[in-house]
Amino acid sequence: MQNELAEIKQAFDNISKYFWRHKEYVNRLNVFPVPDGDTGLNIALTIQGALTNIHGNLPDNISPGEYLKFISDNMLLNSRGCSGVILSLFLEGMTEVIGNNDFSKENILKAIENGCLAAYHGTDNPTEGTMLTLMSEFKKKFSEIMPSKENPIEIIIDCIPHLKDVLDKTPDMLPVLKQAGVVDSGGAGFLILLEGLEREYNSKKIPEILPLSTILNINRAVKNLLIKRSSGVKNSTTSTLIQNLGVNNISNARLYNIVHNVQQYLKSRYNYHNLNNKSSSRESIIKDTENFESSWNPDIRYRYCTELTISSDKNIDNQALKEQIKNYGDSLIISGKGNTYKIHIHTNKPDSVIKDSSLFGNIIFRKVDDMRKQHRNFISNDSIKYEKEQSVFCIVSGEGFKKILESLGADYVYDYGKRKPSVKKLVNLLNSLKSKNIIAAPDDGDILMSLKYAASLCKANVLIVESKSTISLISLLMGKTNEINKANFLFKDRINNITHCMISRAARESLMDGITIKKRDFFVICEGKIIISGRELEEVMEKAINKLLRNENIITLYKGLPVKGNNNLVAGLKNKFPGLEFEEYYGGQTQYHYYITLE
Amino acid sequence: MNKRILIISADNLGIGIDQVPYQHFEYLKYPVLVGEKEFRESETYSASWLLERFIKEKITAKSSSLSRAEMTDLIEKNVNNYDLIIHVVMGSNMSAATYNIAEEVREKFKDQIKIINIDSRQVVGGIGAVLLRLLNIIKTTDDDETIKKQAGELVTNTFSYYVTPDLNYLNRGGRIGKAKALLGSVLRVLPVIGLMGDDPEGLIVPVGQGRTFKQVNSLIINSIMEKMNEKKAEVITVAIISGDESKRDAIDSLKKEFESSIPCKKLIYGKLHLVEAIYMGPGGYSVSVCMK
Repeated sequence: MQNELAEIKQAFDNISKYFWRHKEYVNRLNVFPVPDGDTGLNIALTIQGALTNIHGNLPDNISPGEYLKFISDNMLLNSRGCSGVILSLFLEGMTEVIGNNDFSKENILKAIENGCLAAYHGTDNPTEGTMLTLMSEFKKKFSEIMPSKENPIEIIIDCIPHLKDVLDKTPDMLPVLKQAGVVDSGGAGFLILLEGLEREYNSKKIPEILPLSTILNINRAVKNLLIKRSSGVKNSTTSTLIQNLGVNNISNARLYNIVHNVQQYLKSRYNYHNLNNKSSSRESIIKDTENFESSWNPDIRYRYCTELTISSDKNIDNQALKEQIKNYGDSLIISGKGNTYKIHIHTNKPDSVIKDSSLFGNIIFRKVDDMRKQHRNFISNDSIKYEKEQSVFCIVSGEGFKKILESLGADYVYDYGKRKPSVKKLVNLLNSLKSKNIIAAPDDGDILMSLKYAASLCKANVLIVESKSTISLISLLMGKTNEINKANFLFKDRINNITHCMISRAARESLMDGITIKKRDFFVICEGKIIISGRELEEVMEKAINKLLRNENIITLYKGLPVKGNNNLVAGLKNKFPGLEFEEYYGGQTQYHYYITLE
Repeated sequence: MNKRILIISADNLGIGIDQVPYQHFEYLKYPVLVGEKEFRESETYSASWLLERFIKEKITAKSSSLSRAEMTDLIEKNVNNYDLIIHVVMGSNMSAATYNIAEEVREKFKDQIKIINIDSRQVVGGIGAVLLRLLNIIKTTDDDETIKKQAGELVTNTFSYYVTPDLNYLNRGGRIGKAKALLGSVLRVLPVIGLMGDDPEGLIVPVGQGRTFKQVNSLIINSIMEKMNEKKAEVITVAIISGDESKRDAIDSLKKEFESSIPCKKLIYGKLHLVEAIYMGPGGYSVSVCMK
């Protein structure tokens, strides 16, 4: 039993890795229900999330059936996107049957049947031509082959050619696929998982697929060529390029036809110069390119892909839950049982969905993706391949602070030194995170404007935390951990809860906030105002601490770049304030000699 | 109540054994290994003994699962005296081995006596909170299914928060779970981690961190209030605060803040046991609350 379990575990890991390598192929097919280019990532994260969750947490002596049940439960909890949820439902249904450790071909057929039932029942508006169709065909084919073979894995593998045919026919079942020239992405994902299983026996390769932006660029080039050049086409560079395109390398069926037709058209023009005769064909190809382009640019009626997991002490009435939220959008899938349910919906009112769902239980997970933004990314020439669901991005001045914030859990910290980052730099940094959602926080209010502009230009959904100092960022990250998955907006409440001040040195004499500052004096800024100035650093610090101290007991000095050498300030301050703890860290900030926090 | 019910658990309740107000209660002791040598909780080998060794001698310690033989003996000794045995077990995701042993023992005795194993999804303090509330349940019913159902509700409504100044103790014990994210801070911080009963994974999760005990105590109080709000709970039915006695000031201040901010029917000052000290480490303390 343990060997069998080890084999199943290994197979799951391998299939997950195999899928991860091919997720981009699936992403590039994603046009239904919304062309946001994330089907592959969603399926990959669904499986990977489940495997990560169970890693190291499996009870000892677990049976293969229990292991599969464990996987399917975790997949459901971790499921992302329509395809991720449907796939999880399918596996959940299967494991309800094979959880009994009967891996005979008869029982596996029953499991597949139950998986189909669960997937269809869990989907609010089951649509043919999608992953559901492949599941249903899988069931039929398995049943058909079963009498002639004993080994269920071999039966599954023998189903694959038929499922490929079915996948190729999905554009005939779902017009939006045909218009876009692709097969269904979820269906393709399902097939890749089965091929992953097959690969456990013999190595196979998934065909390459062009990025969507390249496909659309070729289409656009064809259209422009035909519109702008009514004569002399054969001599243009674009024309030559298009004539030399290897159509057999184009896997998109619609683009294949367009390129094939335009090549025929150009050939006939070159040979016969019969413009009138071919003009209608030219028009039809142009129309074809326009239809093709618009199929990848649909009006996204419901903008936000919203997912929630709710849990209650009591059994949740899923019919009542469905009634409560079904009118908020489409693509509704409610999966789960008993007291825990997962909800997926495309809506323009994610907050209302969340609020109404919370009437049925506690929200233990939620995610809202802006599909319009994802769609823009998907069709753009420089589209980002998202690899993470969420990241925290901080923008600070100071090498020391960079290290401190990273150690507190920021995913990436950009140290801008003395020069505040440009919009372009920020866009590049945001995109380089390859994250669907980013929480971005700067250490200076002056950066906010450019950050907001960069957020509107980058490919991710960006939540900007309007922090204005490095200390705010420390404060922010101190409590980050539990909230990041649930309610990002709570961050905003915590950015100003550490008392702090900053010490710098005057370059010239001045009078500010009623305080006279002589050239080379140290002065202390607190909440945007100068509160103290003086000649000696230690004396200024002492006065600042005395002025700000309430009932804090830890004083932390963050040393900046302008401070040279070791001035032994901490020892001196400890003598002056024997009841307080003092700590000193290197912040590396360029403008200020010291930041001082009182906690 | 017509049935004679025995409750069993182990010495990681977060409260003293004498703080369990039930006559028919038995407990097992977790083996604690310091180097090659095995210790069990006793007057000499207590939590403070171990915490002192940690600081002075830089020793490392670990625990192992409850002994199958001892568990079997305990049941055998009592099988004829009771109609039902309820075993409140440490969270199965924190110690799968102990839970599996409990299940095997239940299976072994299934023809002789009904045993209910309650997977508490908790460790220090949390198990104690589930246990104390269970005592209230069995005062009102002795029906197996009702007990199981109501105990399940207790489990999903029990939450523990731990202040662990040095997470390496938990890390070395392999129990750190998702709180790994809190390791390796450049700043000296006090991590707060938790075990949430409504989390089906049952793993240690990071709650947040602070620089001072005051900050982390406030963080815990706020987290509990958020949880009460989420659960629509008006009152905490039972709360247990326990920890390293050397941090009595911080623990007292948590107790004070708890009393002044959170409506609670029963607040208990617990006790840290030898096995619990392994993972809490020096300066660690916890509060566990049940909202059902």
